[in-house]
Amino acid sequence: MISFFRLLQAFCLLLLVSFVSAEHTSNWAVLVSTSRFWFNYRHLANVLSLYRTVKRLGIPDSQIILMLPDDMACNPRNAFPGTVYSNADRAVDLYGDNIEVDYRGYEVTVENFIRLLTDRLDEDVPRSKRLGSDAGSNVLVYMTGHGGDQFLKFQDAEEIGAWDLADAFGQMWEKKRYHELLFMIDTCQANTMYTHFYSPNIVATGSSELDQSSYSHHADNDVGVAVIDRWTYYVLEFLETQVTSANSKLNLGDLFDSYDESKIHSQPGVRWDLFPGGEQEGRLRTVVDFFGNVQNVEVENANATEPGSLKEDLAEIARLAEKWRKRGEEYSAILGNSTQSHSENKHSSSVGLAPKKTVGPTKMAEDNSWGKRLVGLSVVGACTAVWVAGSVLTSLFSGRWEAEPEWPSRGCAL
Amino acid sequence: MTTFGFLSLLLALAVTLWSSYASASSDYHEQLFLQPLPQSSLLASFNFRSNTSQQAFDNQHFRYFPRALGQILQHAHTKELHLRFTTGRWDAESWGPRPWGGSKEGGTGVELWAWIDAPDDDEAFGKWIALTQSLSGLFCASLNFVDSTRTTRPVVSFEPTGDHQDVDGLHLLHGTLPGEVVCTENLTPFLKLLPCKGKAGISTLFDGHKLFDAAWQSMSVDMRPICTSDGDCVVQIEQTIDMVLDVERSKRPRSNPIPRPLSNELLACDTSKPYNSEDTCFPLEKGADAAWSISEVFGRTLTGVCPLTGSDGTQEHSVCLRVPHEKQVFITEGSTEIKKEDGFTRCFDPAPVQPFDLSIPEQTVDIPVPREEPILYAERTIVGHGQERGGMRIIFGNPSNTTAVDFILFESLPWFLRPYIHTLQATITGRDGIPTEIAASDLVTSTFYRPAIDRERGTQLEIALSVPAASTVTLTYDFEKAILRYTEYPPDANRGFNVAPAVIRILNVENSAPVYIRSTSLLLPLPTPDFSMPYNVIILTSTVIALAFGTVFNILVRRVVSVDEAAALGAQSLKGRLLGKLVAIRDRFRSKETKVE
Repeated sequence: MISFFRLLQAFCLLLLVSFVSAEHTSNWAVLVSTSRFWFNYRHLANVLSLYRTVKRLGIPDSQIILMLPDDMACNPRNAFPGTVYSNADRAVDLYGDNIEVDYRGYEVTVENFIRLLTDRLDEDVPRSKRLGSDAGSNVLVYMTGHGGDQFLKFQDAEEIGAWDLADAFGQMWEKKRYHELLFMIDTCQANTMYTHFYSPNIVATGSSELDQSSYSHHADNDVGVAVIDRWTYYVLEFLETQVTSANSKLNLGDLFDSYDESKIHSQPGVRWDLFPGGEQEGRLRTVVDFFGNVQNVEVENANATEPGSLKEDLAEIARLAEKWRKRGEEYSAILGNSTQSHSENKHSSSVGLAPKKTVGPTKMAEDNSWGKRLVGLSVVGACTAVWVAGSVLTSLFSGRWEAEPEWPSRGCAL
Repeated sequence: MTTFGFLSLLLALAVTLWSSYASASSDYHEQLFLQPLPQSSLLASFNFRSNTSQQAFDNQHFRYFPRALGQILQHAHTKELHLRFTTGRWDAESWGPRPWGGSKEGGTGVELWAWIDAPDDDEAFGKWIALTQSLSGLFCASLNFVDSTRTTRPVVSFEPTGDHQDVDGLHLLHGTLPGEVVCTENLTPFLKLLPCKGKAGISTLFDGHKLFDAAWQSMSVDMRPICTSDGDCVVQIEQTIDMVLDVERSKRPRSNPIPRPLSNELLACDTSKPYNSEDTCFPLEKGADAAWSISEVFGRTLTGVCPLTGSDGTQEHSVCLRVPHEKQVFITEGSTEIKKEDGFTRCFDPAPVQPFDLSIPEQTVDIPVPREEPILYAERTIVGHGQERGGMRIIFGNPSNTTAVDFILFESLPWFLRPYIHTLQATITGRDGIPTEIAASDLVTSTFYRPAIDRERGTQLEIALSVPAASTVTLTYDFEKAILRYTEYPPDANRGFNVAPAVIRILNVENSAPVYIRSTSLLLPLPTPDFSMPYNVIILTSTVIALAFGTVFNILVRRVVSVDEAAALGAQSLKGRLLGKLVAIRDRFRSKETKVE
């Protein structure tokens, strides 16, 4: 009996391991609004609604990158200070008491967005401003703003193109920065934004076809502007009413089937072809695979020695360290001062570099102005003398060769 | 089981030992000070202060000191740090002097200054950039925009408040972001730095919805080392939030904050007015001070006491209120009230776990709380018109009839505002109201100046000057506005460009605490292009080129010929040549025939 249980246990473990290798180990969300100015309140409300949803389903603030290009909550025009509402009933304050905005104001630019995705950031940039995803991460990218055929405007000042986005995702795939990626976009002609994607494991969905507008849902008379967009409103309705817990078994197929064109007033699109297994496989991914947070652990055999294993990596690092150490020794031997102490070495190098002196503020002194005036006067006098001498010489020479054409004067006349 | 028991015993022992060690050298205090101000405003001043021994700090034994901040400071070799988030304007004319003598407030937006330990200026700047980047992540603010153009190195405006062993090795760097928005996302990390994290004690009153609805608010974080004479050092972190709430406004319910007109029956009209009638009303001013309570104004009650306070034995009262003793104040049962001897201050000790509320009913008390006069009034505006030039005007008013005020004016101007320092002029106006123009050098005792370099650094100007008693001094200088490159304009260029507030440090104050005043930030309108212009130009140029090129190309490659010639020209190609031969042969035959005829 016991042996049977053992067997069952081993089988279960095996099953688990085989499942785990196909699953993701972390979740990240990149939520971007690209519109500035008060009348674009709804775009920030869209993003903040999604922020609340992913937080509700378990993704921690440290794994959410929130980009808000303008301040709506503390905007002087906001009659409800410190709040953002996505519904005229004002039941849920999206800004709440606990919010972490990672990129805000002028920081929300195309450059920063692409740098974030591809992790081409300065070393000083803190972790909260980095997308720390890896080959086991499922990434949700949600964007909203004003766009057109294959572009999306950022802050009414610059645009990201469909190819830029495709290349950014392509580079993410090459850098093993995602396992599966769900791209959602709510803007006019949104579906054109994902037409150029080429890297695998991406499911993309947008709010409207080419030459179609995406519309806002409704306005709040006290806020004074539209508070949410139609497509986002109905996506949220599905997420809020159907996906009630992190254990929800609803899948992406259910989400996309819930699109009702008569309500959304545009034709939403879904792109499956980059996903292995196409639509059939993609539909089976659960919604919480992207909106929720899993903490699966990938167990790697610690004793494995095949390429790519931990042991192999450690051995390779040790080899590299040894190589660099040797190279360093050789270099110092070439310099011919192997006996010189380390501190002296450091000293000589610091001497070799010319210290750049930054000029600080200086105290303005009341100095002898007569001295300066004398210098100025003498300079003026010298210049006058040169001019007089020049004119005298010119008159002498021109008196001698009157037939010579006056090149300088002609040049000036030109 | 036995091993586990033993381990837990060891752990408990270690914890006890460590806590006794830590409590010997670290402590934590928090206090809330409430003071009603004129015009139905209420000043709420929150202060949180904790000490950690230098040794514990260096070994990263953080108890009260927030680990997140401590590690950043150690990474950036920062020995003293001051960070400010401010919105709104302090109305000195009605509210009097600023809380904490202005030393815990910043200019509008975000202000940061720090003393960094580095061997030279370049290295200090490198660490400064690392510091601003890290703080931008911690406080959700765009502090990473503090680059070389926004960084200054003040000479006389700031002095270290802590005790430093090696002052010469420290570099003071100062940066401001006058346009930075301060909102809930800045309050969230601020609260997380507190030992009780807004869960107990006075920090439970913080609500972004009320704080950012205030007429003026300032959040500050100060870190400095404090040493005793015998060489024992502690690292002190002090966090404050000061806010001035409009009582009427704060009492509005959150669900319906928009004031609606009162119905006629509820209006209190001044019936003495001749025009007072059924449909005309002059609203009567209330004689009594409006009623308010903590739960109404802050939207919540204070929950208990932070259990970490006063661990060194010196229990401070956590809530103090400055109203005349004659005034009636109701507090929640279980808490105690202590009236101070000055006749205007009373303090409360809330019960440990219970919610605490304090309410003042509407009443008329004739004894006013003595109001101090600020040492100096200052305001700064941009004057002039046009896209090319402008001027700055700073007005200092000395309310004192007996003493002159010596102070330092510190201006950190963006590079695109180019001041002409030689145009610095001063006008002095006495109580008689007659302005007299005097040479600026008569008032200015010393000037520290670092001119700007385009796109590299801004102007830094520190002027030490003196305003005589009972007079107002107007200081003006002219500036030129730079023209920016097309890509340097922000997305909302037509809003104007923010100019950081001037910092005024008052020198001749009797007590040792420094007194600071900050002017409001300014908006500088710069010549702004029509941003669609490049597209118009591109489109027009393309059209012109297309037209010109098309015409020229046509002229070059096409020849205008008659129909007859066209046939001959067609003979160039092989087919045409063959066709031409055929035609020629046929023509020959035809011509022969015609000749025969």
